[in-house]
Amino acid sequence: MERNILGYKCKKCGHVHYPNRTLCRKCAHNEFEPVPLPKNGTLLTFTHLHNPLAEYEVPVISLGIVELENGSRITGQLKIKTPKIGMKVKAKIEQVRKSEYSTYWGMVFYKP
Amino acid sequence: MREVYVIGIGITSFSRLEYPLVEVAGYPAMMALKDCGLSKVDHVYVSNMGASRINRQTGFASAVVDHLSLTPAGAELIENGPASGASAIKTGFMAVASGVHDVVLVTGAERMREVDNLEATDFVASLTHPLAEQIYGVTLPSLAGMFARLYMEKYGITSRHLAMVAVKNHDNAMYNPFAHLHERITIEGILDSADAMTNNPFVAEPLRFYDMCPVSDGGACLILASADVAKKTGKPMIRLSGVGQATDTHCVHDREDPTDLLAVRGAAAKAFQMAGVAPGDVDVAELHDAFTILEIAESEEVGFFKKGEGHLALEEGYTKLKGKLPINTSGGLKAKGHPVGATGIGQAHELVVQLRGEAGERQVKDAKIGFSCNFGGFGNNVVALVFTKEK
Repeated sequence: MERNILGYKCKKCGHVHYPNRTLCRKCAHNEFEPVPLPKNGTLLTFTHLHNPLAEYEVPVISLGIVELENGSRITGQLKIKTPKIGMKVKAKIEQVRKSEYSTYWGMVFYKP
Repeated sequence: MREVYVIGIGITSFSRLEYPLVEVAGYPAMMALKDCGLSKVDHVYVSNMGASRINRQTGFASAVVDHLSLTPAGAELIENGPASGASAIKTGFMAVASGVHDVVLVTGAERMREVDNLEATDFVASLTHPLAEQIYGVTLPSLAGMFARLYMEKYGITSRHLAMVAVKNHDNAMYNPFAHLHERITIEGILDSADAMTNNPFVAEPLRFYDMCPVSDGGACLILASADVAKKTGKPMIRLSGVGQATDTHCVHDREDPTDLLAVRGAAAKAFQMAGVAPGDVDVAELHDAFTILEIAESEEVGFFKKGEGHLALEEGYTKLKGKLPINTSGGLKAKGHPVGATGIGQAHELVVQLRGEAGERQVKDAKIGFSCNFGGFGNNVVALVFTKEK
């Protein structure tokens, strides 16, 4: 089965939130329907973070904020050598952090 | 609403402190009590962010009030991330303004160097969204890096402008005996020379080592009181004339324009409105420069300069110690240091020193109105304060 990251669509006004919240930011309604977030988007900004937190065991990780096709925004990791603001990107769902107890999955963006 | 005055102040060095957290809170409180000649207060507010996690101590305010032998005065902890300090001052302000208390002691303390730098960074990263930011390895420097990249591209700011903030604040800290870093730096040394990449490596591109504040221990204290009590102390009448607070989205990616710091704008506007002054009336300001880019961005959002023009004011030397509006005369978070839970009180301490005319070599001449911006999270919870010197 294909893994997805879920957005939360307000059942009243249709606004898609990511991550979830108790009350809709647009209309204050409290019921949401989970919807898979699209994987294509545009890179808004990014950084190469040197000496990241201990569990990464690599010298640098790249992080970015992406606006997805449906207008939702998400923070994710980048695997792109020379990212540029405004470039098109495509996500794969991969392991993004591992602790002693859990493994976390999230969006990792590549050049399409 | 009653008027509220600052009658006593105290501070520790911001550096690595080798004594227990309760003493980091206690020492500046002792200085502040001596400063105003009081031995009793009605209430104690303690600001701190990491006691429970880093120092393994909960119920910290109870420890502080007893350590100071101020029992049975009431006491509680204010934890509001890096804005804890100004939040505690705001809470103390409300207690006195409302008439519930006449004298309150507001002391902040942090002892982050009990753990190594990576653990301290991980602790501060717990401010970010657990499911949408933390899982990716997002840290505060990385959020600042992403913010800086967009801000710089949009407004034509260069690494040179960021370096100018660092050089200015390191210069100011040379005159502040309590500052963490007493180290003059030059643009040549951190940007242009052959050794620049070694001296000043990238941390969160485009931000480098000298764009970041240090990890500091430190404490600071303010005693707030009603006008009646303040007059009896014989100290200069420094009024806490404006307090303002505003919040913004937890996730930075949720902000419509990621280069806007709406909570900074909102908090400052409210503080200025309460004080009945305009940004142009300010004589001296402490802004939350945990990252150099933030001094530039905040100087615009609080209303000192138009959006996109803060770096031009910096180029002209407008914000230097001898400039028209000196910013971060203490050295700022950049060089004075950033003991997170105490920082907002440290900023207020500097403004009171300046308004009293006790700042020595870094004194801003005839300073009458001071402004501080204490920035929590990555701009999701901001508290602004205005202090006014009365005759």
